[in-house]
Amino acid sequence: MTQDKLNFIVIDDSKLDCFIAEKIIRNTGMSDDVKSFTDAREALAYIKNKPTGSANKTVLIVDIQMPVMNGFEFIEALEQLPQNVQNDYLVYVLSSSINENDLNRVRSYKSVKHFLNKPLNSNTLTALLLIV
Amino acid sequence: MSKQERIKILYVDDEINNLHGFKASFRLDYNVFIANNTVEATDILNNHPDIRVIFCDQRMPDKTGVEFFGEIRVPHPHPVRMLLTGYTDIESVIDAINMGHIFRYIKKPWTDADIRSAVDEGNKFYLANSMLAIKNEELQKAYTELDKFAYSVTHDMRGPLLSILGAVDVAQNINDIGEIREMLGLMEASVKKLDSFIQNIHDYYNLKRGELHITDIDFAKVINDQEDIYGITAKMNNINFKTNVQQNEVFRCDEMSMKVILNNLLSNAFKYQRKNNETKFVELNVHTDKGMAHIQVKDNGIGIHENHIGEIFNMFFRATSEEVGSGFGLYNVKDALLKLNGEIKVDSVVDGGTTFNVAIPSK
Repeated sequence: MTQDKLNFIVIDDSKLDCFIAEKIIRNTGMSDDVKSFTDAREALAYIKNKPTGSANKTVLIVDIQMPVMNGFEFIEALEQLPQNVQNDYLVYVLSSSINENDLNRVRSYKSVKHFLNKPLNSNTLTALLLIV
Repeated sequence: MSKQERIKILYVDDEINNLHGFKASFRLDYNVFIANNTVEATDILNNHPDIRVIFCDQRMPDKTGVEFFGEIRVPHPHPVRMLLTGYTDIESVIDAINMGHIFRYIKKPWTDADIRSAVDEGNKFYLANSMLAIKNEELQKAYTELDKFAYSVTHDMRGPLLSILGAVDVAQNINDIGEIREMLGLMEASVKKLDSFIQNIHDYYNLKRGELHITDIDFAKVINDQEDIYGITAKMNNINFKTNVQQNEVFRCDEMSMKVILNNLLSNAFKYQRKNNETKFVELNVHTDKGMAHIQVKDNGIGIHENHIGEIFNMFFRATSEEVGSGFGLYNVKDALLKLNGEIKVDSVVDGGTTFNVAIPSK
């Protein structure tokens, strides 16, 4: 891959899942900038305050079922942000859900690039980065 | 039977004398309503939807009894319909019975015994039908919960398992023992989460399907058990656990439900503490008074936002991502209290703390 390094933001209420994702992302050697949030509201606040137009795109990996603000609500809030902010992000949903309604709902969001099954592993991530 | 509990019955007839005779004969046994025409009868039905049995004369000037019953059948399906008629109308009566408009017919002139036996039978039929309606409603509720249940099982049981699976995969490539230890700690939390979810399901089913076993409750002992369970957590997390019991009378209750209530309220109180608070506390106060047990669980933890207070007793609702939780605990508490005819109130201030007040009557 000749492309510049990517940034990553992981949003998952499970600390272990955040930890695993961070570990796998760093192990690929394609990113040094990995942030994780267990509360989607904090992730949203971070994104709102971040300057736009960065040279590197940021990959967002979002869980669905989370307390307070779930993955769907987060994505809907993200889609309300100005287009130039949204352009900086590539949204992936990562979930343990095997519920048809959940999957259909994920597919209905135009900002979501792909649905990934938990657990995240290095093969999936490498494949995902190739598409990016 | 007290006046309120008497069965409500309605008698419709165009002959005033019959109405008065009927009322005079049965007013002591039943709560009798009389109507001189079908318009009046419909008004009475609208105002008293709990009327159980309707008697109606077949031959009336505005419409026949069969027509009247045919009309009210849809808007008032519950009252049991009985027709009063002479032999001459028998053909139309048979048709009406076969069409399902009428439960029974009574030939004129009626005797008191005819009417009494008709009310008895009608009332039995009414009760069986209402019981069926209640059971159907319960069944519908059970189905809805089952759907939620199946959905959450995939998340709450698969979630921790997949986390551990992912961690095992990552750990294969890690050589640093410190990092491995860190991951083991996180994996342990996942296993605990799964285990507590399974325990909660167990509580849930015991509460839903289990019978109540009413025994004398010794609150001093119950609280002692709780101190044993939470003493270590309190010490480890530097939380001051204060208990206070005042029991001056016999209190009878189901111990299992009692434990579910105390356990869940206390585990929440210990769990949702503010990490940087220097003076963390959890307080458990119990006192009995005039056949009621008052239980208070108080903490000075993170509190619950007022927008979420209304939802905390819902199944699988979680107001925070701060700690590991299943969204099951308070639902079980509410369920247990429903069985015990108890009440729960909650006062909470964000970053100030939460107080749950429970009141349970002795059985």
